[in-house]
Amino acid sequence: MRSKFRLVAELVGPLAAVAIVTVFGSTMSIAQQGNVTNILVTTTIVVALYVFTGNSGVMSFGQISFVAVGAFAAGILTAPTLTRQANMPSLFKFLSTTQISNFDSLLLGAGLGALFAFLVGVVLLRLSGLSAGIATFAVLEITYDVLSYWDKIGPGVMPVVLVPVTTTLVMGALGLGVAIVVAFAYQRTRSCRLLRATREDAVAAQGIGISIFQHRLIAFTISGAIAGFAGALFVHELGSISTGQVYIDLTFATLAMLVVGGTGSLWGAVLGGIALGVLESFLSNAENGVAIGSWHVTLPNGLSVVIVGVIMVVVLIFAPKGISGSHEFLERFFSHRPAKAGTGTEPESTAKMTDEESSEVPLSPRPTS
Amino acid sequence: MALSLALVSSGVAVATSSGAAVKKPIIVGAVIDETNTMKPFDLPALQAAKIYVDQLNATGGVGGRKIVFKVWNDQLKPTLTRSDALAAIAAGANVLWVSCDVNYATPAIQVGLAAKVLTVAPCIGTDQMGPSLFGSAGKLAFSFGNAPQSDGAVLARLLINHGWKTAAVVTDKLLAYFVTACQDFSSAFVKDGGQIVSQSSFTSFDGTAAAVAGNVATSGADATVLCATTTPDLPTFVTALRTLGNTKPLVGLWSMDGGFWEPTSLTVSNNIWWATFASVFGDDPSTPVRALEAKMAAKGETPLTGGFVTGPSAVQGIVLAIQRNHGNLNGTKLAAIMAKFHNVSTISGSVSFTPTQHTVVGRSYRIIEVTNGKPHFVQMLSPGPLGS
Repeated sequence: MRSKFRLVAELVGPLAAVAIVTVFGSTMSIAQQGNVTNILVTTTIVVALYVFTGNSGVMSFGQISFVAVGAFAAGILTAPTLTRQANMPSLFKFLSTTQISNFDSLLLGAGLGALFAFLVGVVLLRLSGLSAGIATFAVLEITYDVLSYWDKIGPGVMPVVLVPVTTTLVMGALGLGVAIVVAFAYQRTRSCRLLRATREDAVAAQGIGISIFQHRLIAFTISGAIAGFAGALFVHELGSISTGQVYIDLTFATLAMLVVGGTGSLWGAVLGGIALGVLESFLSNAENGVAIGSWHVTLPNGLSVVIVGVIMVVVLIFAPKGISGSHEFLERFFSHRPAKAGTGTEPESTAKMTDEESSEVPLSPRPTS
Repeated sequence: MALSLALVSSGVAVATSSGAAVKKPIIVGAVIDETNTMKPFDLPALQAAKIYVDQLNATGGVGGRKIVFKVWNDQLKPTLTRSDALAAIAAGANVLWVSCDVNYATPAIQVGLAAKVLTVAPCIGTDQMGPSLFGSAGKLAFSFGNAPQSDGAVLARLLINHGWKTAAVVTDKLLAYFVTACQDFSSAFVKDGGQIVSQSSFTSFDGTAAAVAGNVATSGADATVLCATTTPDLPTFVTALRTLGNTKPLVGLWSMDGGFWEPTSLTVSNNIWWATFASVFGDDPSTPVRALEAKMAAKGETPLTGGFVTGPSAVQGIVLAIQRNHGNLNGTKLAAIMAKFHNVSTISGSVSFTPTQHTVVGRSYRIIEVTNGKPHFVQMLSPGPLGS
């Protein structure tokens, strides 16, 4: 029973956080709602990162490539065809003439993100450690260059413009909710548990016949799908996209959110995305002046970046596993409650489990303190 | 005083309010970068514009209405750029003023266009600020910067005038502006009888500038034409070029303006040329420009590049459009008037637009030459009429 409560909490906790942010955001001005929407969309990217990096333990600098592919595909195919033909005369004909709905563009973003991730993963995921990280960074560079200079698939160095703005606050929340449910469902699968086992001890995992490559590839593909989906949300939030907006800045911002939140849990990804997003948004706005009750605060230009950096360092010093401790929502609460004597409700760590229950327990040890 | 007189005599009359009642101000919502890479371009233009607006307001404003700048620092963050523009519109902005790069400014530009507000960039240097990128919605968007066709044509003319008949062209692919300007230079130069002996490129921050300079150094061209920005790669490129024995002219765009990036070696920083809006080296031929520079310096806002004059120039254009529209601030009507500007005299020179070309073409440039590490004004040079 406790295991089921824990499961429910793992899913409901992040969703509740999204709901709270959304309700709070809905009370703000239209301009500020845009910032809150961006926090939700950025957190969707962090969830995508978590699905691969969090579960595999392999740091990826390339997930923003999949965001870029999703964003450009969704942006180009939903922008007015006349605009495309005028601004991007060299486009492949099907890109120049095909028009899809905004909803379809979200699915397309997810599909292309998954496909691109799969193809990249087939080539790269036999690498490990630093080599894998650098290789994923190279993918980001290649994607950036191709999108910047191959004018048959995009506008080159110019932006894609006049993309319908449909990612409202509610759409952003729904999008992040979908990403959370997908990530949650994935981490309940056998494949994800095996992947976590490879994260904890790759040699031992291989020794019992687990294919590191296969399970990393599955995670990478799912991560790519969520990233592409987030890219489509992003372009419909801004109404335009250029290559510089889906490049190094976004890569490091989202990685920082994941690390600060806690790489080892979905709750950490959501918490990190929202917490750093809110902080960064507040400080950026404070440079233009914000009212807090009867106080009017105006920070010197550039100070927001410094403050965010300092806070990140402090968090990582005092909470190296991130502010969630890499625990799922309420995980410690459920893990630490002692069983009542004679009731049969023994602590999970020592209880006998049925076959069905045992299949739900991660192969890898979870941090419990 | 000299500046005030010059601005008035430049064709933009300043209407003085005769009534004592305080009229509602004209709000210009500026969404610009005050902290990131566009700061050297956005901020001087805004500071110079504010100085002009202060003088204008002191003499009664526009039809008795003062102009008020409300500024948002977008830090080049796309979401913040969009939300700042939404905040500017919500704050009642009658005109939206955006950053000097079309990629960075697009999220704000689209907000202005959707709100049907006249949307102006002081110095975007591509011809994308208008219908060419934003379609019919772009009718409300204008830039008071020079179009790359003009930049390319004036560099071609500079080379031909000096008898430099062959050129090695180097493009920094970082910005669309550089790519387009170098393409436009090449076509204008060939059309004028010149010959391109080599085309090469690098992208800022990719660490290949020195290697590209190595190839160019032995090209045998009469001059090297470089479409690039100053940091981080320009000092590296110039040093490599000179170290390898190439002392021939190095010619560039406004983006090379300022001289702050020059290597300290006098043999390296020599025979370098660029075309810009104004000389910031104390020798600009225009009295109003020098007076404006002096005012900025007195406020501790000494401009690093000549692009600062595009700020007051944009305000002059906005004011003229409002006056011609009899004080009405309807964005669509103001834009229709602005599209008909033909040789409007501003502090930055003559400004013309057409219904499809919303970035300035044909304005005269200041040619700056660096001799033994010292930049100085050489001559005024016009790129010639449209389409020449």
